[in-house]
Amino acid sequence: MQPQLMSGNEAIAHGAVRAGGGFACGYPGTPSTEIVETAAKLEGIHAQWCVNEKVAMETAVGASLAGTRTVVTMKHVGLNVAMDPFMAVSLAGVNAGLVVVSADDPGMHSSQNEQDNRTLARFAKIPLLEPSDSQEAYDFMAEAFALSEEFDTPVMLRTTTRVSHGRGLVAAREPIAVEPRPYERQISKYVMVPANAKGRNHRALERLQELRARSEASALNVIEPGTMDFGIITSGVAYEYAKEAFPEAWILKLGFSNPLPYAKVLEFYGHVSKVAVVEELDPFIEEQVRAMGLPVIGKEAIPAEGELDQATVYRALAPHLAGGPAPRGPVSVPEPAQLAMAPEVDAKDLPVLPVRPPVLCPGCPHRGVFSTLRKRRMVPMGDIGCYTLGALAPLLALDTSLCMGASIGMMAGFNKALGRKAAVGVIGDSTFFHSGITALLDARYNEVEGLVVILDNRTTAMTGQQGHPGTGIHPDGSDGPAIDIVRVCLGIGVRCSTADVADYKALDKLIKDEIKTPGLGVIVVQSPCILLARPEKRTVEVVAENCNMCGLCLAIGCPAIAPGDDFISILENCIGCGLCADICNRAAILIEPAVAV
Amino acid sequence: MSWTDGAFTVSLVGVGGQGVLRAAAIVAHAAVSAGFDVKSSEIKGMSQRGGSVLSTVRFGAKVLSPVAGKADLVIATELLEGLRGLPLLARGGTLICDTSARIPPGAVLRREQEYPESLAAAAAANGVRLIALDADSLAREAGNPRTANSALLGAASALLPFSDDDWQHGLMSSVPPKTLESNMRALRLGRETSNQEASL
Repeated sequence: MQPQLMSGNEAIAHGAVRAGGGFACGYPGTPSTEIVETAAKLEGIHAQWCVNEKVAMETAVGASLAGTRTVVTMKHVGLNVAMDPFMAVSLAGVNAGLVVVSADDPGMHSSQNEQDNRTLARFAKIPLLEPSDSQEAYDFMAEAFALSEEFDTPVMLRTTTRVSHGRGLVAAREPIAVEPRPYERQISKYVMVPANAKGRNHRALERLQELRARSEASALNVIEPGTMDFGIITSGVAYEYAKEAFPEAWILKLGFSNPLPYAKVLEFYGHVSKVAVVEELDPFIEEQVRAMGLPVIGKEAIPAEGELDQATVYRALAPHLAGGPAPRGPVSVPEPAQLAMAPEVDAKDLPVLPVRPPVLCPGCPHRGVFSTLRKRRMVPMGDIGCYTLGALAPLLALDTSLCMGASIGMMAGFNKALGRKAAVGVIGDSTFFHSGITALLDARYNEVEGLVVILDNRTTAMTGQQGHPGTGIHPDGSDGPAIDIVRVCLGIGVRCSTADVADYKALDKLIKDEIKTPGLGVIVVQSPCILLARPEKRTVEVVAENCNMCGLCLAIGCPAIAPGDDFISILENCIGCGLCADICNRAAILIEPAVAV
Repeated sequence: MSWTDGAFTVSLVGVGGQGVLRAAAIVAHAAVSAGFDVKSSEIKGMSQRGGSVLSTVRFGAKVLSPVAGKADLVIATELLEGLRGLPLLARGGTLICDTSARIPPGAVLRREQEYPESLAAAAAANGVRLIALDADSLAREAGNPRTANSALLGAASALLPFSDDDWQHGLMSSVPPKTLESNMRALRLGRETSNQEASL
């Protein structure tokens, strides 16, 4: 078969199946989401979304113990949620191969931080593989499963946005036949009580030494000879940038970067007199090389934040190649023209361009909730999802967004500390199931005076419409039992009512009343994501003589409303949700009535 | 930089929801069909919600990085994003822009900022060749108003070493089969318009 164009994430799913992988699970998170989505379309592998990353990790450990090669996927911050089982399974070990994919997001394209999870592989004393493109993502899955079983350890396969969402040609390889590995009861291995854990911890340290010997010999760690007296140690997508910026340099490419192959690093230093480490984010390799007592050019030149690219690598290192200790051979610096980076447009005479931040879609039901919340003198504690965009101008309707599920706990602490109902938690449906639910239990237990608004838009919208326990929809599109948020809240013993943004005035009144009512209350706003519901478009008209440009409707930040000199206008992208008509108090916006269903 | 001695870089820019990622996939698949090594890269997530979108496709005998410091060709599905994409280009590069598409961002709607109109002047001042198209009209002429991006790709096809067969392969990867013909018509119209402009 001809090589196929695949994203790194698609390649990981295909590579897992090729290597006998039979189980894939995770929680959606950019840039990891498409691995489970792709696996759901493939034969021979079960794919499922889990409620959060911790449960996904535990599910994956269970599947591995049952004897199925398993891959569990999450974004970098998702691994924080899963740290407890992740650290424990490092000691307990596995049965069938267990690969943890950590998809990191340097540059924070869609994340709250850009933590470098390679450190967490080292922290957990487990092997770390770093593919640099789609073909390697495919190939490394087989190596990851094999290492996992041979060394009785989970393996981290770490990607970044450019590997996960980059596309490249992938040549399929022969499928690998996997021997069955039936479950065996091993209480001393799988029951992590102190007496057992001490032994397993000792074993993990021995394993680390054995893994280092394997990393020294691994075909994934290669020295690529160059023609200049300059060497670059690199891993992941940074390898591609380094190779392109300095095609004549020696390169030590680390595909298997933890444990670091000390002897191979020393061998590399035998070839050149000047060495740089090119890696995105933290000085992960660099600090270990320094600890070996070797001189190296690292983060004093290469940026420790954001993404790299070939031009950045070139500009960072070129000055270090001139001067300094006398090189043992000729140093030739390539012309920048070879990098498709210069001569460049210097943006001369460009006006200051208006930025175009992401916005809530026209007709998005979140907008109506924010519009009414803004009128209340409450501190709105937000959470993670599309609705985080409610924090941006002109809505400015959220004061905080920390991490998945934080809104309810923060609301509880805020209100407890002040001794009154001062804050309101705003959380999406998928995020509520992810980790809001435990905070709601806590708020009930601690008798918090507060309000939680759950934006139940019936999907995990931000990552591209994945199902969750509230919808019962699985990644292959099949339906399962849906869990009713209202009954969950009532079951906990929390007062719970429902509303629909379509009846804006009722929602407005409900929020007002709920704030005045003592105790803890939940309002579930049951209005589906506009991309999911795709309602019939309704016509909205402006009554010019009634409009005085007061700005009420403009303040909801709808991309379909534009101000004029004397009256507003409704743009073509309007879908007719009617929120602006509900908000206008001068009858200047008329909406065609909804067709009764 | 040409496709014979390294990687040729095409960047596609526009507004989330305009089909920029799909247009990039068409270019990437056309390049595969033409026998090149291909890598591409895109940003998903937050930026899909009506924000600026950038997708990069690189092709050549052997491609290393999925991104590039500078592009040889920028294709813009919207005027303001075309201006924003200008600094992505190497001097002497080409910008193909749908100048009929103007999507004012929030700050412009709220009259805090002006929608810039100065694309031709900015391109000239920066030594960039501008191919401005009215892609909407070309799409309507092709008989399918949803083929504007194919008209833009048609203008690009005048510069790229892909045959019509390759483009057809590219389109098949990403558009509904029944719209293949209208997309190919839009592509040819885009190419003719761009060739006429070049000969002026």
